[in-house]
Amino acid sequence: MAGAAPPAMAADAPYLKLAGLAKRYDGGQAAVAGLDLAVARGEFVTLLGPSGCGKTTTLRMIAGLVEPSAGRIEVAGIDVTKVPAHRRNMGVVFQSYALFPHLSVARNVAFGLEMRDLPRGSIERRVTEALALVRLAELAERKPKALSGGQQQRVALARALVIEPSVLLLDEPLSNLDAKLREELRDEIRDIQRRLGITAIFVTHDQMEALTMSDRIVLMNAGRIEQVGSPAELYERPASPFVAGFIGRMNRLTAAVTASGGGRSRLDASGLSLMASRELPLGVRVTVMVRPHRIRLSARGGGAGEGNAVRARVRKLVFAGEAVQLEIDAAGLVLRVEQPTGGGGWVPGIGEEVAATWSLDDTLVFAER
Amino acid sequence: MKRAVAAAGPLAPAALLTAIAFVLPLAWLLRLSLDRSSGGGMLVDAVTAANYLRFLGDGFYLGVLWRSTWMAALASALTLLLSYPLALFLARTRSRWRGFLAVLTIAPLLVSSVVRTFGWMVILGDQGWVNGLLRLVSLTAAPLRLMNNMLGVLIGLTEVMMPVMTLALIAGFARLDPTLEEAARSLGAPPRKVLLRVTLPLSMPGVLLGSLVTFVLSISSFVTPKLLGGGRVAVLATSIYEEALETLNWPFAAAISVVLVAVFGVALMLYERAMRRWMI
Ligand SMILES: Nc1ncnc2c1ncn2[C@@H]1O[C@H](COP(=O)(O)OP(=O)(O)OP(=O)(O)O)[C@@H](O)[C@H]1O
Ligand SMILES: [Mg+2]
Repeated sequence: MAGAAPPAMAADAPYLKLAGLAKRYDGGQAAVAGLDLAVARGEFVTLLGPSGCGKTTTLRMIAGLVEPSAGRIEVAGIDVTKVPAHRRNMGVVFQSYALFPHLSVARNVAFGLEMRDLPRGSIERRVTEALALVRLAELAERKPKALSGGQQQRVALARALVIEPSVLLLDEPLSNLDAKLREELRDEIRDIQRRLGITAIFVTHDQMEALTMSDRIVLMNAGRIEQVGSPAELYERPASPFVAGFIGRMNRLTAAVTASGGGRSRLDASGLSLMASRELPLGVRVTVMVRPHRIRLSARGGGAGEGNAVRARVRKLVFAGEAVQLEIDAAGLVLRVEQPTGGGGWVPGIGEEVAATWSLDDTLVFAER
Repeated sequence: MKRAVAAAGPLAPAALLTAIAFVLPLAWLLRLSLDRSSGGGMLVDAVTAANYLRFLGDGFYLGVLWRSTWMAALASALTLLLSYPLALFLARTRSRWRGFLAVLTIAPLLVSSVVRTFGWMVILGDQGWVNGLLRLVSLTAAPLRLMNNMLGVLIGLTEVMMPVMTLALIAGFARLDPTLEEAARSLGAPPRKVLLRVTLPLSMPGVLLGSLVTFVLSISSFVTPKLLGGGRVAVLATSIYEEALETLNWPFAAAISVVLVAVFGVALMLYERAMRRWMI
């Protein structure tokens, strides 16, 4: 079940290319408003974003199930924008599984091969291989209804993979499963994708799924791309407050630039004095963000290094297993803080006066638009 | 066992109603069919198979049975063929006229089939619209025989049955997830294969139900064969009518009725069997 023979092309040329891809459903607003994206062969790219941001629409346009209003889709350098779905050779895994209820598991998996008029023997062999790949060989004769949700999703995966698709498209394939199974299947999908070296586009609105599975994440908002990058890039160097707020938890303050120079800026956030690690024009309003678990609490504060430090009083404290979640009040501004449990961090009591510190690297600053 | 009895409790009124409205008349028919008629509407109490033997021994009545069966089967097939695309369209369209179109489709149900059949007589008769139009463009010398024969009956039955069939099919399509068709397309199925391999098999419950209902309604239909057959298309229902109200041979009419009920039984059995095959 190796991928289809690669056409002759430069190794770094994009395999799947979206150019100015847009969709406006009749009468409505643009669901997707001009998407540009290049995906390398074998890459696992996730479309992440809030509900209604156009992830499914984008995926369906790639699959040929929705006609784009504008733009182009290329696979291996060939324009497929006008190619109908049944000739695109895309493997689609739907959120609802979409297994054919009247066909057995084996016949579901065989469907795509039968459409390609392959000889019987070859179909049987490949179906067996595909079912073995998703560890369902012994359930081949069952009807989909007699399978658990996780098993159904694995059949759907086998059915999409067995046709050796040029791109594997997955639309929230795990969202109907319980948390534990979701993690299991997440690893399984990623593992199979790596082994087959298949190019995959994965849609989700679950940031954990996106962070753990992806080579690259495309964060979408209202039909546009907010940022494209590796999980670490999006997490550590978000390009906008939207990205910063969408991935992981964030404290968000507004501030004004009061001084600037020497690669630093001084900010005033309603009386709180903060530092930023770049020069910003004086007087500009900015959004300052810092992640709760990057804030350190101590009794006295101070200590080595450059960074931000504020005095605050603990307002609220919740024990949440791996961490203690606190709310601290710093001169009227409320910050959320997370301290690891088990000796990793000092945990004050409610009402206690504390010093909250965090590094300049963890101080994300965005000029307001 | 106790549980079954307990469960039957609330069903008692329905069971009683069924008994009164269905089982009793049927039992009475059965009993009547074993009586003898002495001509002129006189009944003679008896237990005899004479009426059935007459039915089975008379080529004419066997012909009636055969004709009724294939007429109903053909009418169901034609109705299915014409209704399927219509129902598929109605189930899938996102047009804002959808509701209106659906009402338009089933509106004929609000009109008595007598009226609708008369409508067809106006259209299909020798002096009707079709022949009038053909005469106008001088296509035919003699009028086409579109009525007073089986062709006319089939045309009429098909139209009369279409709303019912369409309703059954739409109900069937409603349970068919369009994502399944998309999955088929993405797996390489061209539109024709999607229809044959996914849409059609998955709409079989609707197809079977619609076919059963149209078959049963067609084989027991009286008005359409009577009016559009012009007395030349003898089917079970018209034969029962003649025996009961013209010849006044009630026991024989009852025997034909029982044969008709037996045909229902066979149809229902075939339906059950087919449903078991297609139920998912
Ligand atoms: N068939 C359709 N007709 C009209 N509008 C649609 C259609 N499908 C989607 N939309 C609209 O397009 C926008 C994008 O929808 P899309 O399904 O792509 O979002 P999504 O990112 O997949 O959301 P979710 O996470 O909820 O699945 C939404 O505003 C939605 O209402
Ligand atoms: Mg979606």
